[in-house]
Amino acid sequence: MSSHSSALGERHHQPILVCQQVAKVFHANQQSSFTALEEINLEVARGDFVTILGRSGGGKSTLLKLLGGFITPTSGQVLFHGVPLPGITPKIGMVFQENTLYPWLTVEQNIGFGFKVRGKQKCQYALRVQDVMEHVGLAPARHLYPHQLSGGMKQRVSIARSLAIQPDVLLLDEPFSALDIQLRRRLQKFLLNIWQDTEEATMVLVTHDVEEAILLGQKLIVVGGQPGQIIESADISAPVFSDRYDRNFLDLQQHLERVVGEEPDMMENPFSWATVSGPKITSHS
Amino acid sequence: MVKGNSGRLGSISRSLLPLFCGVISCVVFVGVWEVIGANPENPIAQVLPPPSKFLPVLFESDFKIGLGSQSASIYQSVTVTLIRVISGMTVAFVGSIVCGLLISLSKWSELFILPILGLIAPIAPIAWIPLALVVFGVSNLTAVFIVFMGVFFTLTIATVAEIKRIPENLLITAENLGGGNFVRWKFVIIPAVLPGVFTLLRLNFIAAWMAVLAAEMTGLRDGLGTVVMTGRNLFNSNLILLGICIIGITGFAVDRLLMMIQRKFFWWKV
Ligand SMILES: Nc1ncnc2c1ncn2[C@@H]1O[C@H](COP(=O)(O)OP(=O)(O)OP(=O)(O)O)[C@@H](O)[C@H]1O
Ligand SMILES: [Mg+2]
Repeated sequence: MSSHSSALGERHHQPILVCQQVAKVFHANQQSSFTALEEINLEVARGDFVTILGRSGGGKSTLLKLLGGFITPTSGQVLFHGVPLPGITPKIGMVFQENTLYPWLTVEQNIGFGFKVRGKQKCQYALRVQDVMEHVGLAPARHLYPHQLSGGMKQRVSIARSLAIQPDVLLLDEPFSALDIQLRRRLQKFLLNIWQDTEEATMVLVTHDVEEAILLGQKLIVVGGQPGQIIESADISAPVFSDRYDRNFLDLQQHLERVVGEEPDMMENPFSWATVSGPKITSHS
Repeated sequence: MVKGNSGRLGSISRSLLPLFCGVISCVVFVGVWEVIGANPENPIAQVLPPPSKFLPVLFESDFKIGLGSQSASIYQSVTVTLIRVISGMTVAFVGSIVCGLLISLSKWSELFILPILGLIAPIAPIAWIPLALVVFGVSNLTAVFIVFMGVFFTLTIATVAEIKRIPENLLITAENLGGGNFVRWKFVIIPAVLPGVFTLLRLNFIAAWMAVLAAEMTGLRDGLGTVVMTGRNLFNSNLILLGICIIGITGFAVDRLLMMIQRKFFWWKV
């Protein structure tokens, strides 16, 4: 715990997003319901980079949607700056896994969309858009339409569009999972650069790729079990966890792959897993 | 080098190929027609005079068709018909998008209104002609109304369907970026449905075109349909053929125009 604050350096520590005993139940109809998440307690502080890991169907996207106010918890609450989150807000940006660019708008217009929908005049935001475009390396593509972009460029535009309006938190749901490995590495670096460049930037990223989760995150949580809970959390802010060839990195990766990989077994015997919470990993360099 | 050149040539000839073939087949078609129609004894030539017979009618009559005070220039006939079709389709296009948006505001309006639209949509626009003549008299309004009835209902149903088809995340993203309800309509829903509805408008152009010509043949006193009817009344097959020809060429031109509009303004897929 003491290593925690020193490793995060100058970053602030006020909690922005807090989950308190959050549960989410989906009702298929009157008779059957499905508990997707249960007893979720989570704190996202200003400047954090949290990664959420878990098997497919484990409830990662559900957790992210709860954090963004896209769905409301069945019980418990999500606090944003200390008050219950009322719903979707531009202060919490979301990048979806699938392409959500507007096909009738150019790169530049897509990035400026957040200003346009709030009635801003073009002259008020043109500079900001220009800035963001240059930052993400899309200035040469400014006049292209989404169908003329590669998959990686599309994801960069999506991220840029959310960043342009300067949200307090950026949520990303498997933003790179549709990309090949080389491109994914480039975009991981790109995202990390953005996070490092912006002092206040707070990000929560969902992924099923263990390596990505360790590489990008400062904090890592694993969602698993049935119903989904946080079965493991680790502070991975130490520098060893940004070197994918470091022994600590590889050990943690192996451990997490086992945790996530063993997941399906628990479906067969849910009761034995009801109380399991994974070993607490604390980092020390 | 050789390979590159042949590739480029190939692509040029491929893009010009349809035009080339189209011109050839038209020339051959007219040629055969001329040969058959050259013999005045031939019964076909009486009903279907070849272009060399009916085109001169244009010049002989100083581009005017009809008798005395009722005569109108060809140019006028074409314009009148075009204005009727285009205004009817424009009103129907805008109206159906507005109505589609309003209907999709509530589940109940969908449930109650869509069945009525579904019942009215299949009525052939021609069937509205007598009613329109009674209500609007012999006027441009009649023609515009018929065109409107021919496409409006289908397009409204299509608009509602297109709105349902919009990926939810496009709307959620707009909300996430700070857009309110009205803004989401204006900046997401309308642009998202435009191309689909316009495509259907294009496909329904033939119906609208037929409707306006039928109206002109049965009731109205000017327009392209009237040219054909004048030919019939005067037992002048040259005039009939001339009218038919102009109807074909104008219809083709409008269809191309709509395609161009689609490519230039409504090209995206959602
Ligand atoms: N709207 C919904 N209605 C009913 N069940 C839902 C709904 N959304 C999600 N679920 C269920 O909740 C569980 C968790 O879904 P979620 O999308 O959060 O998984 P995930 O971890 O993001 O998976 P993946 O990695 O495949 O995206 C799934 O079993 C899913 O069937
Ligand atoms: Mg998911």
